[in-house]
Amino acid sequence: MAKLGFLCDRSGDDAGPAAKRTAPDASRPPLAGRRVLRSRLWLLLPIGIVYGALAVVPLVLIVRFSLVGGLTQYREVLSSPLLAHIVENTVVISITTTVIAVLLGYLLAAALWRSGPRMRVLLLILVLLPFWTGVLVKNFAWAALLQDNGAINELLRIIGPSHEALPLLHNRLAVIIGMVHYVLPYAVFPIYTVMLSIDDRLERAAKSLGASAFSVAWLVIMPLTLPGVYAAGLLVFIISTGFFITPVILGGPSDMMVANLVDFYAHQLVDFNRAAALAVLIVMVISVLVFAYQRTPKEGQYGAV
Amino acid sequence: MARFKRRRYSRPSAPVSSARRPFRLPGNPLLLLACLPVLIYLLLPTLIIVPMALTKGQLIQFPPIWISVHSFADYFDDRQWIDSTIISLKVAALAVCIACVAGSAAAIGLHGKQFPGKAVVIGIILTPMVIPFVVLGLGDYLFFVHMPFIGRWVEIGLAHSVLVTPYVFITVQAALSGLNPLLVRSARSLGAGNASVLYHVYWPAIRPGIVAGAIFAFAVSFDEVVIALFLQSPNATTLPVRMFTSIEYELTPKIAAAASLLLCFATLALLAQAFLTHRKLSQRRLPKAVQSLP
Repeated sequence: MAKLGFLCDRSGDDAGPAAKRTAPDASRPPLAGRRVLRSRLWLLLPIGIVYGALAVVPLVLIVRFSLVGGLTQYREVLSSPLLAHIVENTVVISITTTVIAVLLGYLLAAALWRSGPRMRVLLLILVLLPFWTGVLVKNFAWAALLQDNGAINELLRIIGPSHEALPLLHNRLAVIIGMVHYVLPYAVFPIYTVMLSIDDRLERAAKSLGASAFSVAWLVIMPLTLPGVYAAGLLVFIISTGFFITPVILGGPSDMMVANLVDFYAHQLVDFNRAAALAVLIVMVISVLVFAYQRTPKEGQYGAV
Repeated sequence: MARFKRRRYSRPSAPVSSARRPFRLPGNPLLLLACLPVLIYLLLPTLIIVPMALTKGQLIQFPPIWISVHSFADYFDDRQWIDSTIISLKVAALAVCIACVAGSAAAIGLHGKQFPGKAVVIGIILTPMVIPFVVLGLGDYLFFVHMPFIGRWVEIGLAHSVLVTPYVFITVQAALSGLNPLLVRSARSLGAGNASVLYHVYWPAIRPGIVAGAIFAFAVSFDEVVIALFLQSPNATTLPVRMFTSIEYELTPKIAAAASLLLCFATLALLAQAFLTHRKLSQRRLPKAVQSLP
């Protein structure tokens, strides 16, 4: 996840590269064709076609469907008590997930940063293996672990005296366990990159001035890693708000999130206009978040050498 | 020295990483100890998938009654599940092909270019990574309903191609970051045309990037559920969709067998990534003299 995109006006997708393609030719019309070829910007044509047909057109269609009957769809969606409840769910679950994931991610990033080359490779592999495991596989595994006769309940039965199975599956706790597990690698890497850019000399300077290990960590290192923490937090929050599968598999009926509501409108109520209106609202909120993410500085302010 | 100069040229943003910290060999034991539970939490689900598939019973249980491969036999005997797997493979193959062409062409097109809107163009290319799958799924559904019918798995493949193009773009761009733009100019000054520049200069440089990107793209498409769920039909149900619907119903070892298959692809993707980063992407392909260009 190097850099996330702008969610700016998607209709600019076709216009942007096309305008760029012709721009350098204006000065010398006779050679225009050859210069376009040489400038290599014609190579953006395939991606323009793919995105234009399969991303811009569907998004435009969503907007068109959402505007059937003016703004009534939006009014209905926004005024339904169901939405308020589900937005509350989404925000609470996402914020909890974000806080836990950033705390654990900070720990992992610090361990990665502080370990030698070999240990670092090992840790990276251990973090990346779950990263490449799909949501579905992970959630299935969690469901199997947390169910009433799953591994965790069986372990508790062996260790402790309690004979009743703890209800671990189909509740909010399970959703958060599953979501933190999915987003944790996304939290590690922004923090880790910022840590790598911290100047070693700062730490040595602080130590030479008599700072204890704790004050070095708290007063020198921690403030420098804050940009990474903000970036990781926003990124994790953006990802969390879009979760669809985890609430269905690990959550109960009351843990529905906004993505599930779109699906509910589309598939249960077969009301595509309302689903489209909700989708537009989601994209608007996500755009704001992505814009904020773009604004977060990517490297420590004083850390970059 | 020459080597050092080249790396500074090609990756100006990351001069800090390895060389500066030789004195921290063992790692901080306290930190590592604190990380241990987190690592167990991270790895536990991945580690139990295969053992779950190897249970003897008809339901997933603990402790599992080992060892039987009947779940895999069930999986391979079930026509529906095999059909779904084949559909998933076809979908992923189509998506990967389109993404490789579109993503790598775009990366070449932008290589070595500096123009005001470049960041915006890259931002737009990466956008599908942040749009929630549900939104794309709904849009694709509305789109394909209005189109002449071209076969459901083709539709899912096309929808996935947008989703996975950014992955190919990123890896090819990373591979190209090791390619000095001056090389293109010198090839041209020696009389190379567009086609030979593409074939002799760019193609060797982007090849590892395309391979890596294709593997990631395949992994992403092969376990994408939401879009495939929106576009599914009785004869175009991908493996993840089938797994998803059966998980809602019951947890059986057969699902664990299918999950092991998905896990296998994920591990391959990880190994490929490790292998390719180890080879520092494209750079080995170029002759020594070329590598040390300023």
